[in-house]
Amino acid sequence: MFRPRPAQARILAWRGGKMGVSAVPGSGKTATLVALAARLVRAGGLAPGQEVLVVTLVNSAVNNVAARLAQELQDSSDQLPGMVGFRVRTLHGLANDVVKERPGLAGLAEDFRVIDEREARDIMQEAVDGWLRGNPEVAGNWLGESFQQNRKVLQQDWPHLMRDVAGRYIRQAKDEELDADHLRELLRGQGMSLPLADSCQAIFESYESGLRYRGGVDFSDLIRLALRVLKSDADYLARLQRRWPWILEDEAQDSSMLQERILRLLAGPQGNWARVGDPNQAINESYTTANPNFLRDFLEEADVASYDMPQSGRSAAAIYHLANGLIDWSLQHPQPDVRRRQPLEPPYVEPAPPDDPQKNPDDVDGYPHLHHEALSADEERSLVLRSLGHWLPQNPDSTVAVLLPTNASGSKLVEQLRAAGLPYRENLISTDGARAVSGSLCRSLEYLANPHHSAHLSQIYRVWRRDERDREDARRSIKSLTGHLRRLRRTEDYLWPAPGDDWLDDFCGPDASLRQHLDDFRRVLRRWQEAADLPIDQLLLTIGGDLFHTEMEVAMVWSLAVLMRQFAELHADARLPEFTSELRQIAAGRRRFLAMGEQDSGFDPEQHRGVVVVTTLHKAKGLEWDRVYLMSANTYDFPSAMDGDQYFAERWFVRDNLNLEAEVLAQLEALTKDAAYREGGPTRAARALLAAERLRLLYVGITRARRELVITWNTGRQGDMGEAMPVRALREAMAAERAP
Amino acid sequence: MYLLVKQQQVARDNLDRKVFLEGLAGTGKTTAGIERVKQLLHAGAPPTRVLVLVPQRATGLPWQEALRRSRAPGGAEVRVTTLGSLARELLELFWPLIAADTGCARPLAPPRFPGLELSQYLMRRFVGDEIERRDYFRGVTISRNRLYTQIVDNLNKSALVGFPPEEIGARLKAAWRGSSEQAFIYDDAQACASLFRAACLKHNLIDFSLLIDILRKQLWPLENARGYLIRRYRHVLVDNLEEDTPTLHDLLGDWLPHCDSALLIYDSEAGLRRFLGADPAQARSLQALCDLSVTLDRRRAMSEDVAALHFAMAKTLGRAEGPLPKHGNGRAALRWPARARWHPQMIDWTVQHIARLVHKEGVAAQEIVVVAPFMPDALRFALQARLDERGVPHRSHRPSRALRDEPEVRALLTFARLAQHAPGLAPDRFDVASALTTAIEAMDPIRARLLADALYRDGGLLPFENITDARLQQRITFQLGERYDRLCGWLAQVPPELPLDLFFSSFFGEVMSQPGFGLHRRESSGATVANLVDSARSFRRLLTELGPAASVNQDYLRMVEEGVLANQYLRDWELDRSEGVLLAPAHTYLMSNRPVDYQFWLNVGSSGWGRRVYQPLTHPWVLSRHWEAGRKWLDADEEAAGAESLANVALGLLRRCRKRVYLGISEYGERGMEERGPLLLALHNMQRYLMPEGDGV
Repeated sequence: MFRPRPAQARILAWRGGKMGVSAVPGSGKTATLVALAARLVRAGGLAPGQEVLVVTLVNSAVNNVAARLAQELQDSSDQLPGMVGFRVRTLHGLANDVVKERPGLAGLAEDFRVIDEREARDIMQEAVDGWLRGNPEVAGNWLGESFQQNRKVLQQDWPHLMRDVAGRYIRQAKDEELDADHLRELLRGQGMSLPLADSCQAIFESYESGLRYRGGVDFSDLIRLALRVLKSDADYLARLQRRWPWILEDEAQDSSMLQERILRLLAGPQGNWARVGDPNQAINESYTTANPNFLRDFLEEADVASYDMPQSGRSAAAIYHLANGLIDWSLQHPQPDVRRRQPLEPPYVEPAPPDDPQKNPDDVDGYPHLHHEALSADEERSLVLRSLGHWLPQNPDSTVAVLLPTNASGSKLVEQLRAAGLPYRENLISTDGARAVSGSLCRSLEYLANPHHSAHLSQIYRVWRRDERDREDARRSIKSLTGHLRRLRRTEDYLWPAPGDDWLDDFCGPDASLRQHLDDFRRVLRRWQEAADLPIDQLLLTIGGDLFHTEMEVAMVWSLAVLMRQFAELHADARLPEFTSELRQIAAGRRRFLAMGEQDSGFDPEQHRGVVVVTTLHKAKGLEWDRVYLMSANTYDFPSAMDGDQYFAERWFVRDNLNLEAEVLAQLEALTKDAAYREGGPTRAARALLAAERLRLLYVGITRARRELVITWNTGRQGDMGEAMPVRALREAMAAERAP
Repeated sequence: MYLLVKQQQVARDNLDRKVFLEGLAGTGKTTAGIERVKQLLHAGAPPTRVLVLVPQRATGLPWQEALRRSRAPGGAEVRVTTLGSLARELLELFWPLIAADTGCARPLAPPRFPGLELSQYLMRRFVGDEIERRDYFRGVTISRNRLYTQIVDNLNKSALVGFPPEEIGARLKAAWRGSSEQAFIYDDAQACASLFRAACLKHNLIDFSLLIDILRKQLWPLENARGYLIRRYRHVLVDNLEEDTPTLHDLLGDWLPHCDSALLIYDSEAGLRRFLGADPAQARSLQALCDLSVTLDRRRAMSEDVAALHFAMAKTLGRAEGPLPKHGNGRAALRWPARARWHPQMIDWTVQHIARLVHKEGVAAQEIVVVAPFMPDALRFALQARLDERGVPHRSHRPSRALRDEPEVRALLTFARLAQHAPGLAPDRFDVASALTTAIEAMDPIRARLLADALYRDGGLLPFENITDARLQQRITFQLGERYDRLCGWLAQVPPELPLDLFFSSFFGEVMSQPGFGLHRRESSGATVANLVDSARSFRRLLTELGPAASVNQDYLRMVEEGVLANQYLRDWELDRSEGVLLAPAHTYLMSNRPVDYQFWLNVGSSGWGRRVYQPLTHPWVLSRHWEAGRKWLDADEEAAGAESLANVALGLLRRCRKRVYLGISEYGERGMEERGPLLLALHNMQRYLMPEGDGV
């Protein structure tokens, strides 16, 4: 039973109008939001067809909130399922709902397709490659002198950079509701030289034509078109306003301009709209169009009732002391440009009241521990590995995570954890479930593409018995039979024997149970082979039906099947090898799987006690562990916009350390808002933006720890990185406080 | 046959009068109509003087079947047909008289009739380049095939509704209420329609829209043509009048006064084919021309429980008023899963209940239908696979399926590519192995792969003897090697220029259907191949006349492989009449007019239930005869159209259900998204009109 704290009770007492809430980490904002939504549904003021609309950031949060709400509101089992007076959506989900109901208003057909991340990337790369072929000389304008003839840079790095730069230009243009035609007109009409914008514009046009040809829209379009639909038909807007008389928005600090516009329209001038978020946890600003200032400005609006939720029962007092210290340091940031961006601001985190059901954990001696030593990246990993090796056996029931700034560094750590035999769980790009399912399906397709190879046969046998691998006897039997199958020279003698040639006759001899077992496996493989000619979705469903049994896995197979069908429709020439390669991308975690894989109830650290969870700082948001290692806290991953800092957005092969993404955004602004543009200025401004965001990321990392926090840093690839400035400041302050 | 008194009024009495017969689905209208034909024949009417008109050929099948089986003299000779077929017959007969007025460039040459497949191809050929060149349709996101079909659809509507094709764009634009930039797509649609029409006229290509246009403008006003029809058919019966178009209604308006007798059958509350130009309001106006109106109101299909459910749903949707019926418990006629989170669970639940009905309760499989707003291949396949596992027979019909989706077609296309020996046409090795597996009996995928690896070289298949490794030959077996050689030998002697339709039919007849080959004695494959042959033949004939025919075969292969929508072939419907659980889109089932005991409604949360089909370049309401010139299409119109569509489908389904409806609901749809469409909302709202005692499973 949810027992609200006073600050939470104030929010639950909301009776309508506009409300803004600034909530610190661990303050129970999602629980409060769920309780509020449940109260509104239960109050009974909803007419048939009306719903409380809850908008949140990611799919896992949608499911988490929806499941909690459904539980709160569980009624009689006699009721039809599927409609309980609320709707929980991500912004993309909401935009999809809005557009799907009136696609014509957005110029879309009924069966319009949302092109997924990977596909959109491919279309973009196609557009970039086409443009590069026609404009090979442009590279010379941007590459550093020593890279002008560098083949790797010209063939790989430059095309990839242009893809990112054009992608940024396109996303921003779409976020500002600017279409390609309109921008082309503006470019024609302006007098300034905006060469990057000019290049990106050509790519934009080609990208748009690629999307149109495929009958699809990308994720940015979906949002833009939803807004267009709402603006173009006042009656439809009014109908939706009636449908959603209450709008609750979670994680509002990551709201983009379009999200705010859409929700503002849906709420209407007199509507009921509550926005809850923490501007200190806005960590998507530098690479998306999100901006915490939208929430900050909202909190200041005259007709908005603003509240803080400053109390949190999550962490020990010493952790909060450190987090609050970071806020203080940020308010005094040595770089005025960063300070102006208000990276971190009060409210400070306060512990929960003494009688609170979620009492703060006690401090642990020696923690937080901010490791002062300068280490190479390898040494840093070894240090963390040694520490985990000591800690894990003594804390089998506790949770622990290693948080890293990037996926790539996570992968290296995972390799070492595996080598050291420490139990671990990855939570990097795609979920484990999606990877396991896609991995098994991938091997199955590999086998079907090469049914005459015994190596694939033995591998698929292992996949078939995947659920038994935990049993020692089964492991032995799998190993032995896998070996026999691998040595089988004529796979057809097993699968499709000619009369008198059945391999099982020789191999099994009088062992009836072995024969039965291999006969069962043979039957399964034959069924798959017969299905190999079916469209890819049907083939995957057939295989999945034999391999997977839990609800979640079966559902995931279904989603993968739909995804692959879509891939097949776009690539008429695709055959088993191409499908296998697509699935391999998902299985290897290189491709985000946007369907069901992330539609589970989210990653729950409590399910992984005694196991090292390896994840990125971004993915750790919203989660908490007893012990947290925050690695790589150096001046590269957490720059402070000081002289000598380096920035990953300033590519090493680009002249004058230019950040081309920042430059193109500024050129776009110059084009559309008549702003002045001078090369290099936007690069410098982006440093302050990034420094501010990385401070918030550090804040997020620190506040993931319940009891113990360890921060380490390394000297980077060239050995020239220092300890991140805020970390050093906190460490020194702690040392001063601890000094006798 | 036992008939109600009111049915007898239609079927046995008033045989010399013009009768307007009205009633909801399941009240026995068609039964009465068929009986009337029999009585007419018994009374001495020559079968060649009786005409039954239906909106689509499949709707005529029950008539043909019943008349063929009846003992009425000449029952099988009664003509059951559609407006399109009549129009084509008239045009072919009277072409010399009207050709000069049609605008066709070559009035002395015979006309050609491209079907849906060919129209899509021709659209690409005549209009595709222009779309690229002029950068048409920038404001709309739609696949090319759909774009073409919608331009064709606009032309069809202009003909069927009876307004000049030059007005298509202006009408659509005048009703558009969205952003002004987007309205330009209607100009583009107009330009493409005009371009296509001009190209058709230039090449004497009478597509469906031009056919109907000519019927209205040249044939019907021509005394010879009209008189021919009127004199030939003295007894006219029209089934599903509400599903037919204003053009037919106009014709009937002229025709009825001259008939000896007529029966117009009108289904109240239908209009399912509105998106194809159906006009129920216009249809009703013909009642005034009849001598007698009969309304059938006793529901023969629904049980009392289903009738109570129907009433509750009708009340929810604003189609019924008053208190609940005294008899019947609507709730008892409904089942739903207690909990189904994911889409596959819903499918499992469905199949489990079907299996129980069939195996435990002795229900005949053909008394069960599984419907969904759309029946994508994955859903159909998942249902079929699970039904197979449980030993439940099933059948399915998907009218708009691409030819390339059939495995037999894919195998034939691969062999056709091999036979072409053309650069760029060589099939993929996987396709070759797969085609060999399909084509040769007992050929397994491993040996097929070994064969393809060893003998598929430079786009051609080498003889079996080219395998020098005796062990490999042994692995493949000499028996399969011999069949493979027969197949290759046949392919080797085929001249590359052999037209594909001849290639397909010969290859099927001389190889694939022979003993030892994969399609031997497979009736359904035969039908599929027949469709392919028809399609390729029409394509060839047409293209040969259009100009240099060098690339006919290659163009055809490309067209099918790009997934062009197939024509509807009547033989598919005929095959459907086998016994088994029917899996079909809801509309397809409704149009088949066959009540069943049990219905399973799947994907109940889908927004596809009760929402009009959005086609950005066309609009059935705006292009109808009743749309006021210049009026905007508003959100309220959208809502009303959605409500009408939902009521037509949901109530239409219930009227065709005798005993119970199972609701397939899952929290997440097939793409993992939560879905809350209008049907789910209506079902929730309906609960208050049902009896309180719950029996949800």
